[in-house]
Amino acid sequence: MSAETGIGAAVKRREDLRFITGRGTYTDDLNVPGQTYGVFLRSPYARAKINAIDAAQALQVEGALAVFTGQDTAAAGLGDLPCGWLVKSKDGSDMVSAPHPPLAVSQVNYVGEPFGLVVAESLAAAREAAELVAADFEELTPVVATAEAAQASPIHEGLEANLAYDWELGDEAATDAALAAAAHVTRLDLTNNRLIPNAIEPRAALATFDPASGEYELRTTSQNPHLERLVLSAFVQIAPEHKLRVVAPDVGGGFGSKIFVYAEETVVTWAAAKVGRPIKWTAERSESFLADAHARDHVTHAELGLDEAGRFTALKVRTTANLGAYLSLFGSSVPTFLYGTLLAGQYKTPNIHVQTHGVYTNTAPVDAYRGAGRPEATFVVERIVEAAARETGRDPAELRRLNMIEPGDFPYETPVALVYDTGNYQASLDRALQLADYGGFKQRRAASEAEGKRRGIGFSCYIEACGLAPSQLAIQLGAGVGLYESGEIRINPTGSVTVFTGSHSHGQGHETTFAQVVSDKLGVPFDDVEVVHGDTGRVEFGLGTYGSRSLAVGGSALISAADKIIAKGTRIAAHMMQAEPDNVAFEAGAFISGNQRLTLQEVAFASYVPADYPPDLEPGLSEKAFYDPENFTYPAGAHIAEVEVDEATGVVQLVNFVAVDDFGQIINPMIVDGQVHGGLAQGAGQALLEHGIYDADGQLTTGSYMDYCMPRADDVPDFTVDTTVTPCTHNPLGVKGCGEAGAIGSPAAIINAVTDALGTEDVAMPATPEQMWRKLRGL
Amino acid sequence: MEQAGEYRIPAERAVVWRSLNDPAVLARCIDGCQSMEQLADDRFAATVKARVGPVRATFDVALTLTDMRPPESYVLEAEVKGKTAGFGKGTAEVALADADDGATLLSYRVVGRVGGKLAQIGARLIDSAARKMADDFFSAFHQAVDPTTKPS
Amino acid sequence: MNLTLTVNGVEHSLDVPANTLLADLLRTQLRLTGTHVGCDTSQCGACTVHLDGRSVKACTVLAAQADGRAVTTIEGIGSPDDLHPMQAAFRDCHALQCGFCTPGMIMRAIELVESGAALDNRTVREALEGNICRCTGYHNIVKAVLTASDTMQEQAQ
Repeated sequence: MSAETGIGAAVKRREDLRFITGRGTYTDDLNVPGQTYGVFLRSPYARAKINAIDAAQALQVEGALAVFTGQDTAAAGLGDLPCGWLVKSKDGSDMVSAPHPPLAVSQVNYVGEPFGLVVAESLAAAREAAELVAADFEELTPVVATAEAAQASPIHEGLEANLAYDWELGDEAATDAALAAAAHVTRLDLTNNRLIPNAIEPRAALATFDPASGEYELRTTSQNPHLERLVLSAFVQIAPEHKLRVVAPDVGGGFGSKIFVYAEETVVTWAAAKVGRPIKWTAERSESFLADAHARDHVTHAELGLDEAGRFTALKVRTTANLGAYLSLFGSSVPTFLYGTLLAGQYKTPNIHVQTHGVYTNTAPVDAYRGAGRPEATFVVERIVEAAARETGRDPAELRRLNMIEPGDFPYETPVALVYDTGNYQASLDRALQLADYGGFKQRRAASEAEGKRRGIGFSCYIEACGLAPSQLAIQLGAGVGLYESGEIRINPTGSVTVFTGSHSHGQGHETTFAQVVSDKLGVPFDDVEVVHGDTGRVEFGLGTYGSRSLAVGGSALISAADKIIAKGTRIAAHMMQAEPDNVAFEAGAFISGNQRLTLQEVAFASYVPADYPPDLEPGLSEKAFYDPENFTYPAGAHIAEVEVDEATGVVQLVNFVAVDDFGQIINPMIVDGQVHGGLAQGAGQALLEHGIYDADGQLTTGSYMDYCMPRADDVPDFTVDTTVTPCTHNPLGVKGCGEAGAIGSPAAIINAVTDALGTEDVAMPATPEQMWRKLRGL
Repeated sequence: MEQAGEYRIPAERAVVWRSLNDPAVLARCIDGCQSMEQLADDRFAATVKARVGPVRATFDVALTLTDMRPPESYVLEAEVKGKTAGFGKGTAEVALADADDGATLLSYRVVGRVGGKLAQIGARLIDSAARKMADDFFSAFHQAVDPTTKPS
Repeated sequence: MNLTLTVNGVEHSLDVPANTLLADLLRTQLRLTGTHVGCDTSQCGACTVHLDGRSVKACTVLAAQADGRAVTTIEGIGSPDDLHPMQAAFRDCHALQCGFCTPGMIMRAIELVESGAALDNRTVREALEGNICRCTGYHNIVKAVLTASDTMQEQAQ
């Protein structure tokens, strides 16, 4: 296809035109006739019994229509919000799930947990009525701190402990033996700070119910509308799938936080039928802080053994992961299968053992956020490797190189259950060292010192498992759904192409890249290809967007569908050209046999007007495919951060950041670079700025942008990004995924730079000016 | 949240004590107080419209007086409920001592905590808001006890 | 209360509750949904519009304060067929991903360039401090603003 729009071209995004002119359609932009407004009642307590809820006064407000509580949803038989991944403890027992009703029934377990929904004619009336609902709570002692939760008395009635599971992976005895025999053991205690995802569009839902057809329609801020529909149908049991349509219109960022099925859209959908009117709910940012799934929040002890030569002999990791008050949709999998499996990193460490205690606390549920488990794993591996280099007097880049899996080692099976298919980690590191001018660092450090600033450099050679996921493997490991993706390509009678994907775009640019892929594969003009996504009423099925899977899995499904189009088109063309199908080739959008040539458009027209047509073939040219990946994909790369710490103020300035990533083949380099930039800023946010803090009473004290420090334009530098390419070996596009890399690699690189600058390993994320100021003064 | 303060009130200790226990005086001195009812000798119920930063709401306030040692000291336990705005709980130790010129020295120490929206949005503002409320209260109290004196 | 204001060149006379915020008036009454609301503490800047040519966060301005004044929103500066240079630069430089912060970012950036201040990477970053983007890491936004600045200056000459 044309070099300007085909695979590898930096095509400008077609979705931009609506966004830059204010013509995007986000959920809250939608309005329907007869619409009412919902406001949720939220717990002000971290843990309390609900004695009574009196809505009488609220219902007196002019325009108030209804108040629903957990008693109502329970009486209506609404099911609990499920966790979709069953993790087993090391003794073989199933994880302990705390029941998670959409509205709290008898007890609230985190500040912000919804316990009621007020519906009114206007938002103002709904707010006024919500003020007048009298709820009588009896405060109970909350459990907040991650490290102490397992030993504290259980927060949920009927549960023996706050331990959801005690999970392990790897060979503990071999790991212990190797550590005992090691020439040097580096030990590190690490905290992975709690983050709050903060997509700039707050979550929202607009639900309608048509009593004539019995159909519900939910328009909501979702990364995966089909999964939303599946959960609302199969688990919550609002309506069967054929009576429930879920649409995710333009979605203003997700980063994982909009994967999950939340209480709000669930209850609003159910209530739309009860009220008999459409209901709209849009979160205020304050609600997003309290009730969007949070992220990370690990406490870890790690030990790395090295032999005399500096080769890693063993890695032992003990992690306590805060899961929040309830298991969110994928919350259980994040600190286990998406974390423990990544602890080999890029290295040939022969013995690895990891144990994760997943604990309940009276805090918001914790689930996947950009990287999901892999940033936490990278932080452990890359921090301890850096510390080991310092302790043993080795250059951190060279120690990494010494231990790296080499290009000739692939496929490489790690001691933690993954088989890496391909990679060239040395190439990324070499390029990153070059771009970062590693050799000139000493000089730069001296220059900084002259200005009262301590300069540090830090590395992070990360790996991630993306392209979620081979269904059978995932289901074997506890996933409740397959992790394939669907795609459909319709060649319309006039030759234009409509593409349907189960993947969803909320900033990633699918409407552009997927069109590039299909236009390239089928040889049709880019502008003739339209991409449809995000609507269960239009797209057959899908599992959505997360885990950097869209192109690797969703894009591959489209390649499979395109192959079917070409196969059928070949038969039609052969018939029309009176040739054998085997003698017909498809090239650049045309079927060719000898000197005869028919374009795809001509063949498509013939398929819909089948005058001269193979007798044994159905009319039409539209094909579907489901693609189930064989393996994960393994993007990897080398990140190098350089920071300056101001001795007077403690402010850490990220002065240089180099990211060299291997994402396999690249469809649109402009979009890939943008994905990396965004991930890096989020990683820099985790390392330097962001922290979700609950006080001892379980009150969220960083609950607004005044206190939760989001990265702003002047907090980050221009990033230097580049790529190296080893194509993925098992999908037709050779792609690996690029959405999460920035957030996975960067926190460790930045903290390694900060610890280098300060000369101590004892730095907690985020490296705030206050913390730095104290450390610089030995306080 | 922890706070302490001292105020010099130009009235005799007995007068100050009486005023501190007079719901009508208290109601007048609390900015935004919409009602104040004495439920028992040692219990009051009030509704107060107040704001902490961007959080503005009508709060139900339950006050209980304990450790009464007239006319020297008492402990005031307050429970504040603002429904969607959150809640507050606090204990104030209030002590009176004779000052020169027949005036009274009132000192107080408050320990409290807030929850819900008050904590989420208002945490960083709560200390200054509490300080302002205390200053406003005692400034008004000053006037209420001795209307001829302009507050300093 | 009754108020009259000009929005994107069109005069509107409206009767709204006195506590109506400009952001709500634009989004709800005038259905100009390009102005987004991303927070409730006036921090994110997604609702940035121009009030008599100055950028304001429409979530902190009462509709009443716009009485008799001119408001310009993202819908008023260009269309898909006739983009403002800042809009074009945002697209050319891939300065947006999900698009939610984009209208506010563009409105703030236009004011910045029109202010005539000398701009470089650092000054642009500092000037955009009041607008939060979660997607782009700001790298391409800064590039877009500097690119548009050149175009706008050329056009002005």
